Amino acid sequence: MEERMMHQVDETVARYGSTDEALVEILRDLSQQAGYLDRPTLAAVAKKLAVPESRVFSVASFYSMISVEPLGKHVIRMCQDAPCHVAGGRKIWETLEQALGIQFGQTTSDGQWTLMPTSCIGLCAVGPVMMIDDEVFGNLTPEKVNEILARYREQDGGAA
Amino acid sequence: MSEIHLTINGKPVVAQSGQTILEAAKQADIDIPVLCHHPALANWGACRMCLVEVKGMRGLQTSCTCPATEGMEVETETEKVVAVRKFVLELLFSERNHYCMYCQMSGDCELQDLAYRYGLDHWTYPRPFEKMEVDASRKYFIMDPNRCILCSRCIRACSEIAANHTLGLRDRGARTMVVADLDVPFGESTCVECGTCLQVCPTGALIDAKSAYGGREKDVIHTQTTCMQCSVGCDLDVVTRYQRLLRVDGVWESEPSGGLLCVDGRFKPLYEKRQRVTGPLVRKDGKLVAAGWNEALGIVAEKLQSGSCQGLAYCATTDEALTAFARLFAKVDGAAGRIEPQVAPLGFGQVAKVQDVLDADVIIVTGAQPLEYQRVIGYFIHRAADQGAQVAVITDDENGLSARAAMTLTSAEAGKAVETAAGAGKVVVVYGTEIKPEVIAALKPLGDEAYILALDPARNAQGATAAGLQPQEPSDVDVLYFLLGEQSEDAALLAKVNGAFKIVQAAYHSPLVDQADVVLPTPIWVERTGHVTNLDGSAKPLHAALLMPENVRDEAEALAALADMIG
Repeated sequence: MEERMMHQVDETVARYGSTDEALVEILRDLSQQAGYLDRPTLAAVAKKLAVPESRVFSVASFYSMISVEPLGKHVIRMCQDAPCHVAGGRKIWETLEQALGIQFGQTTSDGQWTLMPTSCIGLCAVGPVMMIDDEVFGNLTPEKVNEILARYREQDGGAA
Repeated sequence: MSEIHLTINGKPVVAQSGQTILEAAKQADIDIPVLCHHPALANWGACRMCLVEVKGMRGLQTSCTCPATEGMEVETETEKVVAVRKFVLELLFSERNHYCMYCQMSGDCELQDLAYRYGLDHWTYPRPFEKMEVDASRKYFIMDPNRCILCSRCIRACSEIAANHTLGLRDRGARTMVVADLDVPFGESTCVECGTCLQVCPTGALIDAKSAYGGREKDVIHTQTTCMQCSVGCDLDVVTRYQRLLRVDGVWESEPSGGLLCVDGRFKPLYEKRQRVTGPLVRKDGKLVAAGWNEALGIVAEKLQSGSCQGLAYCATTDEALTAFARLFAKVDGAAGRIEPQVAPLGFGQVAKVQDVLDADVIIVTGAQPLEYQRVIGYFIHRAADQGAQVAVITDDENGLSARAAMTLTSAEAGKAVETAAGAGKVVVVYGTEIKPEVIAALKPLGDEAYILALDPARNAQGATAAGLQPQEPSDVDVLYFLLGEQSEDAALLAKVNGAFKIVQAAYHSPLVDQADVVLPTPIWVERTGHVTNLDGSAKPLHAALLMPENVRDEAEALAALADMIG
């Protein structure tokens, strides 16, 4: 397990170059590979690039595309900015919380879903907007949200 | 550097090019408030307290980062500026728990001072602040994130001054907080407890465990003296109240450390556990009992004249005491020497000062562990490495500096360090008593261009050398006189002590003191006056911050009295 992680770190660092400047790219890539960056991975990156652990952690925890905590299989990012809000975002927000039984910032206990707010993703014309992993969904209504969630559940093997 | 002329609040001000508006204002006695700025740290521009209006420039400028330029017209307290400062303060107060009444910094807090200055008389915004966990995992100081304003002074102190990089920021926005390493408790982090972060914190977020609630600035006395825990000789600002030792701070802009201290100088002496010798003791019927100074000195004077004698000193005391010690033994025809080993000269190179490490291009460390002892030099080496200096550690054992060194070499590979140094600008060799002859030979080609910093293990080594005290072993004499000061003897010395009549002059009880026939008490660092001569060869003054216990006398005084009695 640890060996695999070390191998991943070595390979990723080799790809971007073992320099301070490549830190964000390396962390983003590793985070995507493993879903999140655990402490041993962060420590390994710090050692490999010869940068302080505090700096690696500052960078890793700063960016929303990098996570230092375990995330669900799917990450929902819902726009929390004004244009989506006035287009009915509040209802979508509540629908998501109800449908998944968690609040924003949390992960479902089965590890399937993480619900996170995000700032504007630049699709204000079709607000309210959310992203599930890399996919974007606009013109959301509560019904549409439930449909989308059902589709994902089905794909994942019909789990409730 | 050239002179530039500007006006601040209508007042003509002369500044040097390269200075910021804040620095120019400070020189002209114009007070611009700051929170994230600290003169010992890099300019940051984060807190927005130092905003000023500059004629012709759009928006407000952070005076701590904006360079002063010729003809500039600056206003520091306009209605607009004051309104923004007040707004920022209101936001700061709403973000975390700044309920001053229960904070030990109340009265000395930079944030609180500004709240008074700008008339914050109520909470403008609701206080949504979440309670955050206090981190008390470190022995000497505590972090209360609830009082933190995220000015990042502690982070910059940790990376710029101590070059330790333990502290960083976690997350962003409202969740931002200062964390150590990978967000671990401070006590489990790479923190070296130099305490620089504690000294620069403008609020009550970093709390000294000893001096908290012990007295406000208006109640305490500051005494400047010199650290005696090692031979670096850092300047200390000792804070006391009612004859109680509260805290030790570093002194910015002092040589050689520039305000940086280490755990040995700042914290450990305040947690001393050894039992103090509080008055002269003489052995009667096999037991050490209290005696008057006249009686004790009388016995010592008589013994020193009645047989062969030898004086051995730990160089843990003042120049004056070491000189008086050497003089006394010259008078009674006894041998006198120091107990600690001495670093031998290398036979090439020029004498370096401690600060030469900071602007070195290549630093070669061998036979010394500066991160364990003379730690400030270890931190300086890290600082130089951060600035791009190549550090080569030559050692056959472990050395803490290896972790961040460009290379760690065995004694046999020492020549590689010389290769690295070839063609480099400034080369500094830092060495101690453990240096090996083959390493000296290998480094010799560095020649007289190289700067040589000899880390003598004795605290006041230079004072001892000036007094003519060279290393000696206890010999077979009738009377052995040990001048220990605050240093308790090591086991190796104790094993070599024979059945002679033993006189021990010491601040604390130890096995050697307990074997002595006469014990004379000495003051401790915080009670001393006189001088110590540091590695740089400067005789630095000692000022007593606390009174000695009633029955304790300075060694120099007692030794002079003995010399008089012997006549």
